[in-house]
Amino acid sequence: MTDGAQAAAGVSSAAAAVDPILDVDGVTLQYKTKEHLITATYRVGFKVYPADRFVLLGPSGCGKSTLLKGVAGYMTPVEGNMRLKGVDIKEPGPDRVMVFQEFDQLLPWKTVKQNITFALMNGGKCKTQREADDLAMQYIKKVKLDRFEDTYPHMLSGGMKQRVAIARGMAMEPDILLMDEPFAALDALTRRQMQEELLALWEDTHFTVLFVTHSIEEALIVGSRILVLSPHPGQVKAELNAHDLNHGNMSSPEFGELQTKIHDMLFADRILEDELQGEDA
Amino acid sequence: MSTSDKKIPQLVIRDEFIADEIKDAHTGDVAVELSTLEKIWNINGVRKASILLGLVVIWQAYTVGFDVEPLMFPTFSFSLEKLIADLLSGNLPPKIWFSIKVLIIGYSAGMVIAAVLVLWATASRLGSDFIATATAMFNPLPAIAMLPLAMLWFGLGTASLVFVLVHSVLWAVALNTHTGFRNVSQTLRMIGQNYALTGVPFVVKILVPAALPSILAGMKVGWAFAWRTLIGAELVFGASSGSGGLGWYIFESSQNIETEGVFAGLFMVILIGIVVENVVFRNIELKTVNRWGMQR
Amino acid sequence: MTPLVPQIVIRPEIETAVGEADHGEVARQLTLWEKLVDMDPVRKFSILILLMVVWEAYTQLSGVSELILPKFSSTAAALWAAITGEQLMIMVWNSMKILITGYVIGLVIATVLSTAAIMTRFGSDVLSTLTAMLNPLPAIALLPLALLWFGLGSDSIVFTLLHSVIWPVALNAHTGFMGVSETQRMVGRNYGLRGLTYVVKVLIPAAFPQILMGLKIGWAYAWRTLIAAELVFGGAIADTEGTASGGLGWFVFSNQMDMQIPHVFAGLFMVILVGVIVENVIFTNIEIKTIRKWGMQAQ
Repeated sequence: MTDGAQAAAGVSSAAAAVDPILDVDGVTLQYKTKEHLITATYRVGFKVYPADRFVLLGPSGCGKSTLLKGVAGYMTPVEGNMRLKGVDIKEPGPDRVMVFQEFDQLLPWKTVKQNITFALMNGGKCKTQREADDLAMQYIKKVKLDRFEDTYPHMLSGGMKQRVAIARGMAMEPDILLMDEPFAALDALTRRQMQEELLALWEDTHFTVLFVTHSIEEALIVGSRILVLSPHPGQVKAELNAHDLNHGNMSSPEFGELQTKIHDMLFADRILEDELQGEDA
Repeated sequence: MSTSDKKIPQLVIRDEFIADEIKDAHTGDVAVELSTLEKIWNINGVRKASILLGLVVIWQAYTVGFDVEPLMFPTFSFSLEKLIADLLSGNLPPKIWFSIKVLIIGYSAGMVIAAVLVLWATASRLGSDFIATATAMFNPLPAIAMLPLAMLWFGLGTASLVFVLVHSVLWAVALNTHTGFRNVSQTLRMIGQNYALTGVPFVVKILVPAALPSILAGMKVGWAFAWRTLIGAELVFGASSGSGGLGWYIFESSQNIETEGVFAGLFMVILIGIVVENVVFRNIELKTVNRWGMQR
Repeated sequence: MTPLVPQIVIRPEIETAVGEADHGEVARQLTLWEKLVDMDPVRKFSILILLMVVWEAYTQLSGVSELILPKFSSTAAALWAAITGEQLMIMVWNSMKILITGYVIGLVIATVLSTAAIMTRFGSDVLSTLTAMLNPLPAIALLPLALLWFGLGSDSIVFTLLHSVIWPVALNAHTGFMGVSETQRMVGRNYGLRGLTYVVKVLIPAAFPQILMGLKIGWAYAWRTLIAAELVFGGAIADTEGTASGGLGWFVFSNQMDMQIPHVFAGLFMVILVGVIVENVIFTNIEIKTIRKWGMQAQ
């Protein structure tokens, strides 16, 4: 698949020219349930560079969502550190906007446009309401929701709600966009359409995105680089390139090979109890 | 496996089929209009108004037809006349105003105290524990039972009425708001934090609107308790507090065996109740939670 | 917009062998202390104790008059004396007897009304008109009329209790029935259920969260109405039917008249206790055994 020489050349030129946006180094995350203290990830490290579509991939219980919440600042690591543009991440902030899987991430008491302007005004992106309105409309058009800007979220379909959430995230123009299985609750056709739209949006500005999924296929299509995590606790298995793969070459041998490779990696040491586990918190 | 004689049905493989064109459907009338009478009868308001009218006619017919003693059960028309007469003579309006004034003062004070308590509960675990314990204890305690104590502490006056009203509103609102806040989804909380909202702005911009269905429910329960407490308290102690309110008007009428006055007072109590519940609260709901699709 | 679109940085792939050995603790039991502090009853109970201590300390130190705010200890003593020597429990039972009578009859009438309401549109119209009109009317306001019609006695109180129970229960049951999902209705019909079996086997369980809500509101109104009625007319009833027949509300009121303030507080304690038992033991248990078990809890 990836030509080794080319990759090495890419690195040598890049490492000199570009600094990583996000540097996660040896991070261990723990959270409490009613009865237990759970270690979600153990000494995980990776670097996200500008324009990356960086995917965290792994089965339930590998702590990928927890890791994303750590980057978002909702959790503090018990060891290791996470730096955004060289600055330690301490708390949530509008420089890392999160897009969730749940449809209720839109504020139900605000219209589509107000949901976006709410973020722009409170996140400090825009100073005046006018400015926020203009920017919001620009992004609403980008996700093809003009005509719906004055609709309340409960009137929208699941796919449309996720589009609003993505528009809200992108309008903030954060350093890094964090997406927590944003398409997992959608039906298969809508999911594919949303993946295509996300990639088309990325082509415009090459924004940096950190994307969590448990679907190998989605990881290969959406991701340019994939971090494969093992479960209980989450540890790094591999970091792989997938920037050449997309919907267009899903039937190519490269796509299939990488898919099989990751599948074998994840299930080589499969633990049966995983099948019974729910989503990691 | 083949213990039974039943033959397993097999797939029948048949030719594939693709429609060349979709023809127009000819199904005759798709919708038939209802007759005007049917339409009118289908309007909710019309049906309910006629039921109301029916009840009034039965009341009037019963009391007139059986020549019921007006001291026991006056006719509808007599009661209505009494209401209109007392409204016009200026006997009733100040009493109504007195009740409403006390109610508004008590209700607002109760809401303010509830807001402070809930803010404390949101900010600290001790506050949250305190509010849970206090509501568990005071919510089942009828506010009117505090009236004897209130009279001891505040004397025979409006202050005592306000005290019991605060008590009747406070716990219902605090309890519902607090549970409402706690049930705000984790996702919405994280969204708020993501845009750097903390403290009071976080409460005002995220928690309050997200918990509004629950808060409104609390406000409605609080209103219902307050209205019941006020009428009850006035029935007993209104006279001693000077002018007296609507409850006192009812009590006074019954003491003077002017039963038509009792009914006139009840009409007024019902009217105010309906206005508050079906106009005030209904409109707030329509403009907020219903419009946002957060309820039903 | 940035003038220059950043490009992907292509870098070599990495594969690591995940070591099983050096995880540290993946999941550990919380310590006993951590669990204890997390337990709701423990924290609430400590707050109660704290409140009592503050109350006792304040009354002891400030020397506030027992007629304004009695000490916690004298209140407890009064409660004990009232239970052992002054027939407080009989008075509680008198109140409960009336309450149960009114509540049960009210439930029966409410059931008839709401069943009629789901069977026919006329029934539904009648019910919604009546509840819209009578639900906002405080039951206690009917007491003067009741006294006129039924005389001084527990009959009058039962009449007002009926009124306080019927409307909230019928209203909530009706909205509950109306809100049962079309899917569940169709499932019921699919299995050939109709008439009363359909109501009992499909509508009532499906609408149970709402029905239970109505039962709780009905109880809350009835309890408030009863205490208010006893406060006002308990004395008159006690006069006509003998002193021991007064209820809890009367106990509070008569002691206030006699300036026995610790006894007033003791009576209020009893009122709280009855309320807490009904709400937190009876209703909560029904809730746990039904809608929580079925995962139908609203909110």
